[in-house]
Amino acid sequence: MTNRYAFFRGCFIPVRLPHLEYVAKKVMPGVDVELVDVKGFTCCPEPVGFGIHDKLTWTSIAARNICLAEEQGLDIITLCNGCSYTLKQANKTLKEDQELRDKVNEMIVETGHQFKGSVEVKHFMDVFKEDVGEKRLKEAVVSPLDGLKVATHTGCHIVSPPEVMDFDSIYDPIVLDNMVSLLGATPVDYDLKILCCGWTLMNYGPPEASYNLLSDKFKSMKTGGADCSTVICPQCFYQFDMGQVMASRRTKLGFNMPVLFYLQLLGLAMGYSLDEMQYGMHRVKDKGFEDKLRGR
Amino acid sequence: MLLQISYEARDKLLKRYPKVETCLKCSLCAFKDGYGCYISNYGIGVDGARFSALDTYTYHVFSPKEPVKNPNLWLCVSCHRCHEICPYDVNPTEVIEALKAAAFENGYAPDLIQGEVSNVLSTGFAFPIVQSQQAQRSRLGLPTLEPPALEDLAKIAKKTGLEDKLAKLRKKEVKG
Repeated sequence: MTNRYAFFRGCFIPVRLPHLEYVAKKVMPGVDVELVDVKGFTCCPEPVGFGIHDKLTWTSIAARNICLAEEQGLDIITLCNGCSYTLKQANKTLKEDQELRDKVNEMIVETGHQFKGSVEVKHFMDVFKEDVGEKRLKEAVVSPLDGLKVATHTGCHIVSPPEVMDFDSIYDPIVLDNMVSLLGATPVDYDLKILCCGWTLMNYGPPEASYNLLSDKFKSMKTGGADCSTVICPQCFYQFDMGQVMASRRTKLGFNMPVLFYLQLLGLAMGYSLDEMQYGMHRVKDKGFEDKLRGR
Repeated sequence: MLLQISYEARDKLLKRYPKVETCLKCSLCAFKDGYGCYISNYGIGVDGARFSALDTYTYHVFSPKEPVKNPNLWLCVSCHRCHEICPYDVNPTEVIEALKAAAFENGYAPDLIQGEVSNVLSTGFAFPIVQSQQAQRSRLGLPTLEPPALEDLAKIAKKTGLEDKLAKLRKKEVKG
């Protein structure tokens, strides 16, 4: 049975990393997930740069986005931890707080939409965990990633606050590791697994701090024996790819640690090639990783 | 001569959020390796401030004379780990977010933040759409990005008061 969702592409993927949008469209039908395009979705809005300093506007714009999915009778699927953070917070708060719901509905009434609380917001990992299930994911694997060692990075906003996000442990996340194992690869244990990707330091602080953080994180992955890392958030992806290039120049890292969005790993296990998974668009590549994939 | 230091703004903050006084004496949220606040372990302030397990980020943002003018407020990613790890049930994230709200309203947010808010309202996207990415989308067979539902965003911003806030900030900038 195909699961249909309102496809919330967000901002960062369509604007900065369109190849990940392409990969999502290519891979998702293979695990019976239909991404339905919904006209009129805007920025979620982005939580760190927008949400936290104007909560009423943040919640109102998020509510309008959720309304568009409600009108289609579809749950929302996102590809981004930040979009999930915004939309899940708005959805939960508005469902539980009648007073706020009335206020927000008043804010959006002139747009012709009203929040009803009839749908769920799901990160694509929630969809895999809850709707697609391990059995179907395993069935889709025709070219297991045997021998590949992967350092997982779950990210911050998909796990906290836990009472809203309800995804995985903040301090000992295992969901992504399990998903990597399903593909035949081996998730590696490494010291700095739960350390943030350093997005705000790179953008709002002196980037040197972010370079040091990234350098320590990649060294920890390497020490753990990883051939590559995997993420489920586009900002983390950007930090680990583009950020790695910059960090490497400054801190003389001395090795490359390619990053793959989890959907790319899934695609590889489904039999797609590195080229088809748009690896060519990545800044950080590594021959050892590529040989290991081709040699399996 | 007796020196006097004015802490009016900080006192106001402590009056409103009495629990953050604990943050001025404690450093548990600076726990290392991602368990606590990553800024406390890796951050260098915009103004050159250095954070560490002994000189924590939370101490830094709650202790200046005028917390809303502190440019390092914006380093917080709202990961909630300080709240999760705090044994005294202080929620520093909530206070930092309130300070950011006040900072934004008074024109102390960095240009990048104001730019992002303006981007959302003028294009529907938080990040600027650049031509090279449009070309890449086209190569990948993805539709070209068009600004979505700008009228709706304008209506919401007007009703919530965000439009007024931005207009005031623009006026301030012109005067400045």
